[in-house]
Amino acid sequence: MENPWFDKLRHFVTRKRLRLALLSLALLLSGFVLYLDITVRTQFEGKRWALPARVYARPLELYPGLKLRPEQLGAELAMLGYRDAGGQLDPGSFRQQRDEFTIATRPFVFWDGAQAALQLRADFGGGHLRSLTDLKMDKPVTLARLDPLLIGGIYPAHNEDRALVRLNEVPPVLIKGLIAVEDRQFYTHHGVDPRGVARALVTTLRGAGLQGGSTLTQQLVKNFFLTPERTLRRKFTEMIMAQLLEMHYSKEEILEAYVNEIYLGQDGNRAIHGFGLASHFYFNRPLSQLDLPQAALLVGLVKGPSFYDPRRHPARALARRNLVLQEMRQQQAITQQQYVTARITPLGVAEQAPGGTSLYPAFVELVHRQLRRDYREDDLRSEGLQIFSSLDPLAQFSAERALTTRLTQLEKARRIPPKALEGAVVVTNTQNGEIQALVGGRNTRYEGFNRALDTERPIGSLIKPVIYLTALERPDTYTLATLLDDSPLVWRERGTADWEPRNYDKVFHGQVPLRLALANSYNVSSVRLGLALGVRQVMDGVHHLGVERDLNAYASSLLGADGLSPLEVTQMYQTIASGGFRVPLRAIREVLTADGQPLQRYSLSVEQVIEPGPAYLITSALQGVVREGTADGLNKYLSPDLHIAGKTGTTNDLRDSWFAGYTGDRLAVVWVGRDDNQPINMTGASGAMTVWGDMMASLDPEPLMPPAPDNIELVWIDSATGHRADESCQDVVSLPFIHGSAPVETAPCATHAQGQSIKDWFKRLFE
Amino acid sequence: MRFYLTGLFLLSVALISGCAGIATDEPELLPVSDNNAVTVLADAARVDAANGKLDAAAASFERALRIEPRNPALWHELARLRLQQGQYQQAEGLAARSNGWAGGNKALRAGNWRIIGQARLKRGDYPGAQSAFDKAAEQAN
Repeated sequence: MENPWFDKLRHFVTRKRLRLALLSLALLLSGFVLYLDITVRTQFEGKRWALPARVYARPLELYPGLKLRPEQLGAELAMLGYRDAGGQLDPGSFRQQRDEFTIATRPFVFWDGAQAALQLRADFGGGHLRSLTDLKMDKPVTLARLDPLLIGGIYPAHNEDRALVRLNEVPPVLIKGLIAVEDRQFYTHHGVDPRGVARALVTTLRGAGLQGGSTLTQQLVKNFFLTPERTLRRKFTEMIMAQLLEMHYSKEEILEAYVNEIYLGQDGNRAIHGFGLASHFYFNRPLSQLDLPQAALLVGLVKGPSFYDPRRHPARALARRNLVLQEMRQQQAITQQQYVTARITPLGVAEQAPGGTSLYPAFVELVHRQLRRDYREDDLRSEGLQIFSSLDPLAQFSAERALTTRLTQLEKARRIPPKALEGAVVVTNTQNGEIQALVGGRNTRYEGFNRALDTERPIGSLIKPVIYLTALERPDTYTLATLLDDSPLVWRERGTADWEPRNYDKVFHGQVPLRLALANSYNVSSVRLGLALGVRQVMDGVHHLGVERDLNAYASSLLGADGLSPLEVTQMYQTIASGGFRVPLRAIREVLTADGQPLQRYSLSVEQVIEPGPAYLITSALQGVVREGTADGLNKYLSPDLHIAGKTGTTNDLRDSWFAGYTGDRLAVVWVGRDDNQPINMTGASGAMTVWGDMMASLDPEPLMPPAPDNIELVWIDSATGHRADESCQDVVSLPFIHGSAPVETAPCATHAQGQSIKDWFKRLFE
Repeated sequence: MRFYLTGLFLLSVALISGCAGIATDEPELLPVSDNNAVTVLADAARVDAANGKLDAAAASFERALRIEPRNPALWHELARLRLQQGQYQQAEGLAARSNGWAGGNKALRAGNWRIIGQARLKRGDYPGAQSAFDKAAEQAN
């Protein structure tokens, strides 16, 4: 049978040509293998997993005498995921009997060293921690810390999160399980298991699609180097790379890479990689502490973390776990006794995944921004830095709850559409400037627009303390008793329309003592005072207090026309609250490397920018705002004995409601308004102050009793005239003055000698 | 009687040496607090400072200050540490902060003014330093 076409072909395919073709193919193939070899080696050796920076809250310090209620400790332990233990106390568990806690703390490496796991007994009484005892040593403890709450991370690209572990930290039973289920021949094959390949080939040819048959090495290659597409060519590449990997590296090295790489779950947009993190994510404990059924569950998850998710599909996960146990039993990896016991153990998964997608995204964002000043973004997302922040979860909880519940109430009471109101809260420590809480909006879990940092709103009357402080820095001219002119004012400035500031109550008040003009937030007298001092001087005062942004210096600036963020307002009031010391606001205490080496500390910094005298006077005036001024409603929330200082702020057409105030230990600033800047029909007192009051009431504030500087004296003043008074006057008030600045005139009601200070007055009382 | 006299002698020795402690004006030798947690931290800070671990010492003082933010002795010791570290502006600020809480503790006030004076000297502010040293001397009267 002649076939001309076949003849031609035979003629063409000579032996020589065939050889040539085969040779080229071999060359091509070896070139490809060489290329893969280089890829595998450079990538495997250079493989440094990108580790996210982890952000922690402040650790709770426990010491006898600490002001803390049992329920607050309970809340802290719950947030930390401590289990209420019935029987044995393992690290991370506790027992409570009324006012007595027994806590087994987790070991933790702090900035200043490691604290081993402790067994503590904490007794409460009278709102305080009364005693603290080390149960193992049976002796009193002076000071101990709980491990800090993980509040978030700064994640690498693809939001991969992992906690690296060494192979010797992995429980052997987990490795056994992994090998029993995923790759029985792991220790004998050379990267590819021929029987597995054959099995896979059969199923593939049967038309069941490409599947199975992957060794652990192949799975690692797939995760490390390749895209997830399922083609024959990719499978081929995977098999070559797996064998190359086995040629160059030991089984242990491959296994260690595998346990850190494998994908094991999803938390929002955060991907959980590796058994180290999965152990925390599912069981809230370190990998080395897992028992057999827990390890088996994690091994079972390798096949499909979403399908077998033990939180969403517990029944499926349980069946999968038991299948793993069964395989392990068949492979003689566990005893019959172990198998039987493990099978009947419940899943034991922690209800809530710890840390992770932050509960406090607004605060973590602030931390991230402060870090960006000192670190490269790449390092933050890859070096596994440990960031110790100043967040106080108890204060944060109070701030969030006060804001969200109040906004809902305010909307109902004022017929504002639901969810239209927004707000922001910043809470700091008055003495060291640490930010304890920060709320960026009413949806506190939302990682979007952060109003505490980024909303810029006119601050209204919150600017007034700066005007009055500027005045009080000139004691020759201004004291708390100086009479200010609150009569009609027309301000003419070239190029602008005439401006006639008015008071909120639409009344002019004539001659008003300085302290009352501030207490009642009179606009006209405040503007007149500011103009007399110089608008530029007042706005320089704002900068002096710590605001860095450029500000206008128009007459209207004196009524807070300029916009600031709640955080900037906090910085400004921080300087006032700390007695005239500028203390930069800080959200970070310390930064440690991934392996616990101290890297950087953000230390306390103070600079005196206001003389102690005027600083004392302005606090005294701001206490008057709460005692007898626009914020007197605060006394419904908090005892007048706390002598709180504060200031309300309201802007044009009632668009913004502000309150800034401080106690003996905390400063807080609250803003309430709408994102679309529509009027909310609230003053500072009826809006933001109610949030402030609710929040502070739940935080047990310390009374505000600033120490009087040397050059301050108390003098009795006749309220009507602002002159010196004595015991024969009716309406008198005791006011602080810088030495030599108290009025010399005596009020008509005073019959006794002039120029007597309050000390003399008392002396005469007892003579 | 002899016992009585010996006792009296010992007592007076104790008193004199106690007074001497105050007179040499080393307020940091007095217990900083009646809160043991604060005392423990301050002691640790002093040990660290003596061993040249100044940053660790500062961290412990700051930790103590979180517990007792109104303790002037802690502010004072942190100021002294900053002076030692050459952070003169911080030393001055912290010493001023200590003065704010010092009340009638003249020895501590004098110590703070000396720190302020030394910090100003180092920064080349001689008139400022002189006025601070004058204030320190005033406290002694």
